[in-house]
Amino acid sequence: MNKKLSGLSAVLLNLLVLCIGVAHAQCKLGVPVIKVGVQGAASGPHSDYGRQIEMGSTMATEEINAAGGILGCKVEIRFMDDENRAATGVRNARLLVTDWGAHFLVGTDSSGVAMALGPVLAELKRIQFFTHAATHRLTEELVAQKGIHEIVRVSVPVYQDAIIAALIFKDRKDVRRWATIGADYEYGYVSWNLFKETLKKYRPDVEFVGEAWAPFLTLDFAPHISAVMAQKPDAIFATPWAGEAVQLLRQALIQGVFDNVQVWWQAMGGSVDVLEGIAGEVQKDRFKGKLWATARYIHNWPDTPENKAFIERFTKRWKRYPNYSAETTYSAFFIMKAAVEKAGSLETTKVIDALKGMQIRNPGGVRTFRAEDQQFIYNVPAGRPMMDPKYPIPVLGDLKVFPAKDYYRYPPFTPVSSGK
Amino acid sequence: MIDNIVFQGCVGLSLAMYLWLISAGLTIIFGVLRIVNFAHGSLFMVGTYLAYTFYGQLALPFGLAIALSVAGTGLLGFVMERGFLKRLYGVDEAYQLLLTFGFILILDDAVKAIWGGVFKIPPIPDFLDGALTVAGRPFPVYNVFVIAVGVLVAIVLWFVFEKTWWGRIVRAIAADREMASAMGIRVPRVFSGVFVAGAMLAGLGGAIGSPVRVAAPGIGTAMIIQAFIITVIGGLGNLKGAFVSSLLVGILSAYGTLFFPVFELFFIFVIMAVVLLVRPQGLFAR
Repeated sequence: MNKKLSGLSAVLLNLLVLCIGVAHAQCKLGVPVIKVGVQGAASGPHSDYGRQIEMGSTMATEEINAAGGILGCKVEIRFMDDENRAATGVRNARLLVTDWGAHFLVGTDSSGVAMALGPVLAELKRIQFFTHAATHRLTEELVAQKGIHEIVRVSVPVYQDAIIAALIFKDRKDVRRWATIGADYEYGYVSWNLFKETLKKYRPDVEFVGEAWAPFLTLDFAPHISAVMAQKPDAIFATPWAGEAVQLLRQALIQGVFDNVQVWWQAMGGSVDVLEGIAGEVQKDRFKGKLWATARYIHNWPDTPENKAFIERFTKRWKRYPNYSAETTYSAFFIMKAAVEKAGSLETTKVIDALKGMQIRNPGGVRTFRAEDQQFIYNVPAGRPMMDPKYPIPVLGDLKVFPAKDYYRYPPFTPVSSGK
Repeated sequence: MIDNIVFQGCVGLSLAMYLWLISAGLTIIFGVLRIVNFAHGSLFMVGTYLAYTFYGQLALPFGLAIALSVAGTGLLGFVMERGFLKRLYGVDEAYQLLLTFGFILILDDAVKAIWGGVFKIPPIPDFLDGALTVAGRPFPVYNVFVIAVGVLVAIVLWFVFEKTWWGRIVRAIAADREMASAMGIRVPRVFSGVFVAGAMLAGLGGAIGSPVRVAAPGIGTAMIIQAFIITVIGGLGNLKGAFVSSLLVGILSAYGTLFFPVFELFFIFVIMAVVLLVRPQGLFAR
């Protein structure tokens, strides 16, 4: 009996060894599996952004593995919550690379976390594909000036939040007095400064008449709204995002702001969660067509087979529409795949070399790698939230499409103030 | 200019009322039970979520939804006090801090498990939508409603504590727990009642804010810091102090946003620092 059993287990063991051997033989990179550490804000009021990063990375991994992996190697991900805090993000990155053995890192929502991660990536010698953090300084300063080549950004930075707004509203002669209700941290400051700098070039006559800054976790924007409205602005430039954007807009509505301003720019108002949050107001046209917004990807643009198929798979897999952090993260995995396949290696320097000259078709459109600051270039339109019979939630319509070359900043980069 | 100052003051007043509702409960609980309830902000958060469910999802009338949310938060407070806190009255205060801090983490994850990570915001009830004119500018009816609720709660609390038998018992326990017990007052029962009342106030603060302030995991933590600052300024355990310092912090921070936008983040701490320097025991502490 015992003999029989041990004989059987020997056979099984051999089979197992054989299987592992085959798996190894299939992976041309000499590793059991390619490990990718993923990070995002998965707790607190912005936790849906981390969740979207997790959904995007999970779906990309499933699809890549189902199609045979990367050079025959399976991909494995491990998602960690950075709590939107720099210290946690840095600790996670170290843990993911040194303990878990991550070959690549992907994600990060907050600019503050991203700026703290940059130098650590150089030390860990691992590439991170950033998929949400938006401060231009990540790529302009840390990559182009300081030469930290472990930073690659797949998502569009504050050029989207600030410069595209200036381009849209420069022709509005009726809008002369601008005020900001800004996010009281790096992202809010650089967006407002970049916006002012760009708009002033086209319109020397505009005035910037007021500012109010709201820290993370602001529950009441009423004092901010009334403070800037005291200056009688024609337009508001607003950068709070996620739930805070919805709160801000609703509190602005009940203060009658949309009767008194001509334009309200809610930079990341094209985000799916925000559009869902303001659906009732959009249906009733409470914003009177004065609300404008953009995002780092919107699911109703571009009208390509890739995007349509992505939306179909995503909504089927998760029963929700993908937010921009889902698309940028999903696409980051396919960028990583293409680079590793071209490099034939997981070595950081070889993969970075392989990125040079890359042009890749993603759901969000064609992304082109820019070597100087390792920023992927693609364009996203801006528009006004409205109902569309094709979708159950509001989408951006009346789209203003600018080619990326018109609104991205180009090297050599001139510094933009990052303070208030 | 005068118009703007008046208007901003009114905005500050509504801000103050949210602060008052949350710090009132915190103060009562501390004053009587001598417990620093870190999870008080989380009760506020639960109140907001319950209001979203009752009003936003089940479409109950707004007033009823608020009442149910307040009751629900009170029930949660009852479970917290009877099931957990009760066991820690005799031991070192550090254990209470640990326990209530644990509740923050548990409740944050619980709301995420129940309601998901995406923030929730129900529509504004029709009868509270719209604006009045204050100092020549539109002032939201909703904020008037919040001010009214805050003032009403202040009056009710004053009446209960000063004019009723129940209030006298509570004050007796706050003054001398042992003596009250010797006089035949059932202290543990009063403790439960006070904790539940404090929880209900937090729930009320959360619930009335739900249509204009989102329900999201983590909003409790944002509130608890402000509430602590207010109770410290007003004098720990002092209800009148909590009311006055809510007004002070709410109105001054609204003016801070108007006149010194760059210092927004520090303003509330500056107020606290000044008070602590001048009157370390708080404005109204005896």
